[in-house]
Amino acid sequence: MRSGTFKQSYAELVALSDNPVKWAWCALALAAALALPALANSYVLGLATTIAVTAIAVLGLNLLTGVAGQLSLGHAGFLALGAYTQAILGTDHGWPALPALAAAGMVAALSSLAVGIPSLRLKGLYLALTTLGFSVIVSYLLVMFEGITRGPSGMPVPPLMPLVSGLDHGRSVYLLALLLLVAFVLATLNLMRSKIGRAWAALHEHDIAASAMGINLTAYKLLAFVVSAFYAGVAGGLLALQTRYVNVDTFGVLLSVEALAMVIVGGIGRVTGALLGTAFLVGLPELIRLGFGGTGSWFDTLFANHAHEVKELLYGAVILLFLRLEPEGLAGIWRKAKRFWVLWPLSK
Amino acid sequence: MDFLFNLLVSGLVVGGVYGLIAMGFAVIYRATGMLNFAQGELMMLAAYIAYALATWMPAGPQGPDAGALWLVVPGTLAAAMVAAVLLEALFIRPMAGESMFAKVMVTIALAVMIRAGIVLAWGNEPQLMPRLLGNALIRLGPVALYTPQVVVLLALALTSAATWALFARSRAGLAMRATANDESAALLMGIDVRRVYTLAWALAALYAGLAGLACAFLFSVDPTVYSLGLRSFPATILGGLDSVLGGALGGLVIGVLENLAGGYLGRGMKDIVGFLLIIVVLMVKPYGLFGTRRIERV
Repeated sequence: MRSGTFKQSYAELVALSDNPVKWAWCALALAAALALPALANSYVLGLATTIAVTAIAVLGLNLLTGVAGQLSLGHAGFLALGAYTQAILGTDHGWPALPALAAAGMVAALSSLAVGIPSLRLKGLYLALTTLGFSVIVSYLLVMFEGITRGPSGMPVPPLMPLVSGLDHGRSVYLLALLLLVAFVLATLNLMRSKIGRAWAALHEHDIAASAMGINLTAYKLLAFVVSAFYAGVAGGLLALQTRYVNVDTFGVLLSVEALAMVIVGGIGRVTGALLGTAFLVGLPELIRLGFGGTGSWFDTLFANHAHEVKELLYGAVILLFLRLEPEGLAGIWRKAKRFWVLWPLSK
Repeated sequence: MDFLFNLLVSGLVVGGVYGLIAMGFAVIYRATGMLNFAQGELMMLAAYIAYALATWMPAGPQGPDAGALWLVVPGTLAAAMVAAVLLEALFIRPMAGESMFAKVMVTIALAVMIRAGIVLAWGNEPQLMPRLLGNALIRLGPVALYTPQVVVLLALALTSAATWALFARSRAGLAMRATANDESAALLMGIDVRRVYTLAWALAALYAGLAGLACAFLFSVDPTVYSLGLRSFPATILGGLDSVLGGALGGLVIGVLENLAGGYLGRGMKDIVGFLLIIVVLMVKPYGLFGTRRIERV
């Protein structure tokens, strides 16, 4: 039984992990993820890539909405900008994939200033609606500048050079996404335990009180937007690399809602939550298809003809259920389960 | 000049629909302090119900007749109100005391589910709405209008007047204003806050029902109708989230502006000019033109 989880210094309180066992488990999970390309078929690998890519964007949204408390309904706009930057630089300007990926993050981060600066005086719902407006404007601009983006017909994306020779494209993208995900998780954890993260948390609780405590609201709100958009931009670039094709229709309002659903399902403001929520919501439609499909029932035809609607219903129901029954999300469930076994047989 | 006049008037008509939706947003925001993102979907539901009722009515010898309106209009409005009151009781009320973020996400989830449900029930194809209001052309000087367009403008004018009277003159309106101002104080004064919430949702559904009817008669009944809800956000913001009549005015302004931009600057501009406008307006007036400035205590 683990006991005596007391802290003696401030450094212990903000340490990344209070327990070496945690590091061992993380290393094990990472090793398993690294071994996946050798074991899994392309379907599983594609799913794992999608989870890793989406998780990066959800981590960013979680920082902005979950940690800093600024509701964004426009993250699809940042993803779209990242994906198109990757496509345009790669196809028309011959950039290699990796520098283009960095540029994708940068472009999205810069564009976030366009929505962040007008939003400085706004909060709550006014801000949410402005971000929604931003994503609508972005998709319009992408269609309008047909000379650069090829308009509604979409753009091809050049493949990623193999990271290690002899590796095929799917496996390379998976490994790249995994490495970036690990980097972003570490970055997020470190941001959250630093001065910046504490300022964001204060902003979340009450912005006026935070500014009375000496927190520069302008700087920290903008920083939250820029950082979050950078995550989304990189994720957008990776998405483009994975699908090898970008189209403006992919980045509708539903995508922003999906990302928010992942944040909620995982647990608002938690890194483990962002990862669990993404894996859960990406995997859920596939699991349901595997579970109910192949029986030739009405469900098969429903899924075949109305996959989009079934997914929408599923996301809606999952959001409703989690908000009502478990507002702390999967991360909360995980924490409670852990506590139960740690204190067993004294737990109740 | 004729082109300009026609753009202006048809802009007013579209703006009337935006205004009706925006009033629905505002009335819920006023009473409960949250934004109902499912307002556009409520309108879409109303449009489909209107279509279902209109096609269910046996057609007269010369096709569907105007007599069906006596069933379609009240039926649609009643169905929309019942749906909204149920949604409020089943999904929104249990969230009382939760954060704004959670409540808003509930309405977003409802919006997504209603949209998917409608597509599953009626399919993806546009439905042909019987032209119950006729299609006569009315000429006013240089401007030509179809009957349904005139009816929508009249409906917006009447609804705005009735709304003003409700909030300014009636007990129920007073109770709603009191609840919006301070929920606990309203409770202490003996106002049944739960009933006020139900009333607000029913009223919002009434606006959504009118907008849905207008949409069914003016445009088409198809799964993209909900995007009108998306496009009336600028109207709501322009008027101020908590100003019901401001929403109506904002709707008209945005409708006209969209049409002018579409007519003179190119079709695509039509879709974003509203959002561009509010980004500018919000920089100057963060609470819209008629919204109440919120003074916070820490």
